[in-house]
Amino acid sequence: MWTRERKDDRRRERITLNLASMIDVTFLLLIYFLVTAVLAEPEDRLTPDLQVQTGEAAGREADLEPQVLEVLIADGQPIYRLGSIVMASRAELRERLDALPRSAGVFIRVGDGVPVGFAVTAIQVARDLDFEQVTYVPHSP
Amino acid sequence: MAWRRKQRDRIFPVDITPMIDVVFLLIIFFMVTAQFAKLSRAELDLPREPGERSELAEPDTIIINLTRDGTLIVNDREVERDALASMVQEVLEQTTDDPAMAHVLLRVDRETDSARLNELVVQLQAIGVGRVRVATEVP
Repeated sequence: MWTRERKDDRRRERITLNLASMIDVTFLLLIYFLVTAVLAEPEDRLTPDLQVQTGEAAGREADLEPQVLEVLIADGQPIYRLGSIVMASRAELRERLDALPRSAGVFIRVGDGVPVGFAVTAIQVARDLDFEQVTYVPHSP
Repeated sequence: MAWRRKQRDRIFPVDITPMIDVVFLLIIFFMVTAQFAKLSRAELDLPREPGERSELAEPDTIIINLTRDGTLIVNDREVERDALASMVQEVLEQTTDDPAMAHVLLRVDRETDSARLNELVVQLQAIGVGRVRVATEVP
């Protein structure tokens, strides 16, 4: 009789254990982490080779007829220069690079003072056009 | 009375243990990944480019953040320019035999003066890094 009562008490205790608040908190945490994870900006990457040569030697003396794209500042504006051709926009750059042979690769010589985003655009365009090798050359005067 | 007991039995046998297990696992996963992301990735306005759109075969060996004002941040810590080379070299020695095969990810703010990036590239080349990954923000 006594044991039966005790068993009933135990069962009641077990049944009254309320998990609702813990589950509420757990779900709130889960939703928080899900939302913050989604808010992170998606990133990708570009993989240029590196070549350190300063001055006029970069991509000239060391290589046979290299294709050198310069990214520099002229009259306070960032520009792209391919030989004597000057380009200011991505569309122009793409058009000019598209006319070059892919197998020779392209050297992107970046001068000081240019915003990095502008230089990265040049790498992106060269990659999009499937140049076999895209080389970043820092060019400090 | 008997009907009430039946009702109670029908409600309580629902076993929510596996669901709670899964939810906790998800929380732990998100907490850990969020922490790692915070440690290695500083808040920067990366260049808005689509990137190479290919799956990475190997993870980054080291992530170097370069802010607009030229501050270098590695593993959530500001690093002096002079100390960077030895720090990177140490990490590369621990992770790879050949520095040329290392996967160095550069996260550079798009408005940063390229002179800062050029200095960094010269430093990396001096310790044998032959190729870098430049992070972009997918538009």
